[in-house]
Amino acid sequence: MRALTYFVTEAAGSLWRGRRAASLAILTIGAGLFVLGFFLIVNTNLQRLAARWGETAEFAIYLRDDVSAEQVESLSRLVHDSGVAARVDQVSKDQALERFRQDFPDLGATAERLNRNPFPASLDVRLRPGASRAEEAAEALAGTLAGSPGVADVRYDRRWLARLNGVVRFVRTVGLIIVGMLALAAALTVANVVRLAAHARRDEIEIMQLVGAPLTYIRGPLVLEGVMQGGAGAVVAIAALGALSALLRARYGGAISQVLGMESLTFLPVELSGILLLGGMLLGCIGGLMVARGVR
Amino acid sequence: MIEARGVSKLYGRGVYALQDLTLRIDKGEFVFLTGPSGAGKSTLLRLLLRQDVPSEGEMIVGGRNLAALTGRQVQSYRRSLGFVFQDFKLLQAKTVLENVAFVPRVLGLAVAQQQRRTFQVLKWVGLQHRMNAYPRELSGGEQQRIAIARALVNDPVIILADEPTGNLDPDLSLEIMNLLREVNARGTTVLIATHDRELIRRVGRRSLTLDHGRIVEVS
Ligand SMILES: Nc1ncnc2c1ncn2[C@@H]1O[C@H](COP(=O)(O)OP(=O)(O)OP(=O)(O)O)[C@@H](O)[C@H]1O
Ligand SMILES: [Mg+2]
Repeated sequence: MRALTYFVTEAAGSLWRGRRAASLAILTIGAGLFVLGFFLIVNTNLQRLAARWGETAEFAIYLRDDVSAEQVESLSRLVHDSGVAARVDQVSKDQALERFRQDFPDLGATAERLNRNPFPASLDVRLRPGASRAEEAAEALAGTLAGSPGVADVRYDRRWLARLNGVVRFVRTVGLIIVGMLALAAALTVANVVRLAAHARRDEIEIMQLVGAPLTYIRGPLVLEGVMQGGAGAVVAIAALGALSALLRARYGGAISQVLGMESLTFLPVELSGILLLGGMLLGCIGGLMVARGVR
Repeated sequence: MIEARGVSKLYGRGVYALQDLTLRIDKGEFVFLTGPSGAGKSTLLRLLLRQDVPSEGEMIVGGRNLAALTGRQVQSYRRSLGFVFQDFKLLQAKTVLENVAFVPRVLGLAVAQQQRRTFQVLKWVGLQHRMNAYPRELSGGEQQRIAIARALVNDPVIILADEPTGNLDPDLSLEIMNLLREVNARGTTVLIATHDRELIRRVGRRSLTLDHGRIVEVS
């Protein structure tokens, strides 16, 4: 406890004395964490988007006109048991025709003139979002259903979904690389500031060594100084992300949700702030340790 | 208390700062270490502070071979020492009080204990009225008295002083010596390196003269 008080007062005092250099380090960490947070937000939303689209993905089982009620019953049980479906809706021939009329009002008249309803009844499947290995499972289900009695055709187009998932993966990889480099830069900047601070306090450190102060008393303030810088950098990043998301939401929130078909975008969840704060403190700690290790 | 057994210290190739030095200083002694510049006085003190280890031979203090100490043992050994340097080594950003209290503070003593000891030693060196001043506001002699207070605050067994009066005029030098003699009178072993032979004559204590890393005279 006494040691901790000592660490905190020394580290805070040292930060204050070297506040110019420290602000630079804090801003560097802030920038790094800002980009990390930005990528995490983009990634989270892309994933949500992929999940949402996956959910509304067209998985339709078109039924033969002569299908029996038992066959429909067993088909929908098959779909339910597969575990990939969130919901199964039965669409009758009449409902399919009605849908067509709504979607294409101009062609409605043409349909009117047909003496026979050409639209098949179907089972519309809503895939469950985020189910693991959902794609393969859905693919397998589509294969099984295609050969089942009463089924005319199965439509499951997942190519664009795979493409979206590819984009998500790509963004994540690029993000990780950029964030990794920024993290390294941030840790090195902290190390430099702590090194400067250690240099500024070299007389003090020399006295401590001469009087036989425990190593933790010599190194503790240096490490803590790094941790404090990292934490401050994280606060900067969180504030900047908060401001950015408030701005985006105010300006483009409506447009984005319309285009992407999502009611709300996720901007800055609490967990993300926590991750950034811990990440910043960890980076700062690493920077501090790089210097402290050399002092003995 | 302090024993050097055939100690040599080699810097680089063939430069002996100390050469086959053997000496013995008993507990409670007051000893001067003198000799011309480059004789090896500071080197010997560095070995005693365990800032360095001998190239050959052994430095034994309080029965412990200094070269064999682990990092932690070095720390606890140093806690039994007090040191005084020519340049005082006071922390300019700290007040007199903070400078002295710094030692018990970084050794993890309780605040009450830090305060009590600090006041005691400041009073003892007669500077308790300047405790809120900064080192630059003090004269050289006052600064050295603060440094001595700091050396005493941890109640050391041995005081090592390297040219403690190097920056002071003769009257102040004698004042500092009297202070150190008082410390010695209370049982602390004192070893002072100085090239000021006049001062040694006036204080009149045992002196070891070094030259080229060897003891050339004992008086
Ligand atoms: N770190 C070092 N590297 C190389 N040589 C050194 C080092 N320290 C001391 N020496 C050499 O060792 C010898 C003894 O130096 P030392 O500092 O012990 O002398 P001294 O008696 O304290 O002299 P002074 O009275 O000038 O302080 C000198 O020749 C010096 O040049
Ligand atoms: Mg010297």
